[in-house]
Amino acid sequence: MKLSVDERWDLIDKIAKQTVKYGVYRHTLKDAIAELTVKPLTGIPFAIAVLYGFWSFFCAFAGFFTDGFFVKLFDNYWLPWLQEVFPGKGGWVYYILVGDPTADNCFEAFGMLTSGLFVAIGVVLPAIIAFYLFLIILEDSGYLPRLAVLIDTALHKIGLHGFAVVPMILSLGCNVPAVAATRTLETRKQRFMMATLLAIFIPCGAQLGIMLEVIPGYVGFVMIYLLVGFFVFGFILNKLIPGRSPEILLDVPPYHMPTARNVRRKLWVRVRSFFTTAIPFVLLGVVIVNLMYLTGFLDWLADVFEPILCGWFGVPKETVGPLIAAFLRKDLAVAQLSAIEMTTYQLVTSVVLVSLYFPCVATFAMLIKEGREGGWKGVAQYLFGSLAALIVVVFLWGGLVHLIWIILGVA
Amino acid sequence: MSEEAKFMIGRIYFAIFGLVVLGIGAVEILLGVTGRSLEWGIMEMSGEFLLWRGLILFFAGAFYLSSIKNFADIHQQAKIVMASLMIWIIAGMQIFSMILESIPGGEEGGWFNTFEGFLASYSAPYIPSLFLLPFSLVVLYYIKLQKEAEEPINQWEKEERYE
Repeated sequence: MKLSVDERWDLIDKIAKQTVKYGVYRHTLKDAIAELTVKPLTGIPFAIAVLYGFWSFFCAFAGFFTDGFFVKLFDNYWLPWLQEVFPGKGGWVYYILVGDPTADNCFEAFGMLTSGLFVAIGVVLPAIIAFYLFLIILEDSGYLPRLAVLIDTALHKIGLHGFAVVPMILSLGCNVPAVAATRTLETRKQRFMMATLLAIFIPCGAQLGIMLEVIPGYVGFVMIYLLVGFFVFGFILNKLIPGRSPEILLDVPPYHMPTARNVRRKLWVRVRSFFTTAIPFVLLGVVIVNLMYLTGFLDWLADVFEPILCGWFGVPKETVGPLIAAFLRKDLAVAQLSAIEMTTYQLVTSVVLVSLYFPCVATFAMLIKEGREGGWKGVAQYLFGSLAALIVVVFLWGGLVHLIWIILGVA
Repeated sequence: MSEEAKFMIGRIYFAIFGLVVLGIGAVEILLGVTGRSLEWGIMEMSGEFLLWRGLILFFAGAFYLSSIKNFADIHQQAKIVMASLMIWIIAGMQIFSMILESIPGGEEGGWFNTFEGFLASYSAPYIPSLFLLPFSLVVLYYIKLQKEAEEPINQWEKEERYE
């Protein structure tokens, strides 16, 4: 049966009359709150409150497990027991697995079974659980898409849009799923920019957990410094990289109460996948750095890079070791930094450097994977593009911290 | 009491409460910026996040005050709810961290805190948001009033569904 245009419209009218109900729509309180959370004037202060809640929850939860129980377990029981029973004190194997025999805490021992396990289980695990738990609640309650709408204007200035907030926030947990989440962005330019910026400027949850242990009073300043860098270099990249940055239409769901079952399931999936990837890299990182130390390679590297590290960045040459470890695990690198003798300002600079420096190997692998979309050329563009951006950022943004300390008269 | 009178009382209540919240927020911002702290009886304004807490309270106070005009309007009510939520976030997180800090035994102690230590972790001084928390709960009454006002719509929806 073939219908003419008029007949089709008549049919549509008939169906509409039978199916569509008309009534007066009145705003509910929930609707009004939903509107206010996306308006900048009311939404930004509320977002500050939510992020404060996020951060306070993260610190309290991670601190409860790490400082309350794991530090005691590892420093008072695990480390002394291993130091006592492990054979071959002073030998290579002992040094790699247990670390410094005179150390009295797991941060300074730097063995695979001491610092490696402590960082992975004692510090990273609580931090990651706290982070993902809060993130899932924000996601499931419907607040995260509203945050995306709210931040849309700011991100448009750097060629991205509101939905880029998802990889940004995911990246605060782990850069690996965050790089994968850049696939939700429309153009190759946007995906490359986002992947590069988050790999450079956004510290992962594990690193944040360690930063809270090592420089508790300075984490806020470091985060603001990195966030400013994110936007400054985002703006520059947007001008330099050819390509489109289209608008998007975002579906914002209504607010609702997250269900315990969903939260539990999501949390389990994310923590499990994170942990199976993180532990091997943490342990491998300790082994590699210890081997490099034992063979004298680390000292050689420290001497080679001394002029740059001491002159340009104002940090001691010993930071070479942590910077190498940062390629494997950034949290491990920050933990290593705490064992090096330096001033507070040098420590803060070193932490900023570790954050800006090479993305960890897992993120690096993800960058390659994402670049494969464009063939070998795509991989090369992703890798060399990211590396070029990274080198410039490390020198400029890392050097700027040193300059700030000099201006303030503390360096 | 008529609904109008209830909203009038609410208007006066949140105007006064908003001023107090705004004032405390402003003081916390000042202290945060200058790096100082203040202890007044059992209330204390100090800590690493003082500036942020001050900012949040300041905005919460501003939300309360801006909702006084057309108080019964749903959008104005939403502002009050949001302001209260902001206070609940600060106070809730403070209570949450107090609970978590009260459980472990500390560096030199055993695995768990002693009973005396446990009780001591809940002793004064407290941050201002904890004092503001009970006063902000009044908003729950106005949410209830608003829900009742929304009922006819829900009734209409129900009737439509059963037709």
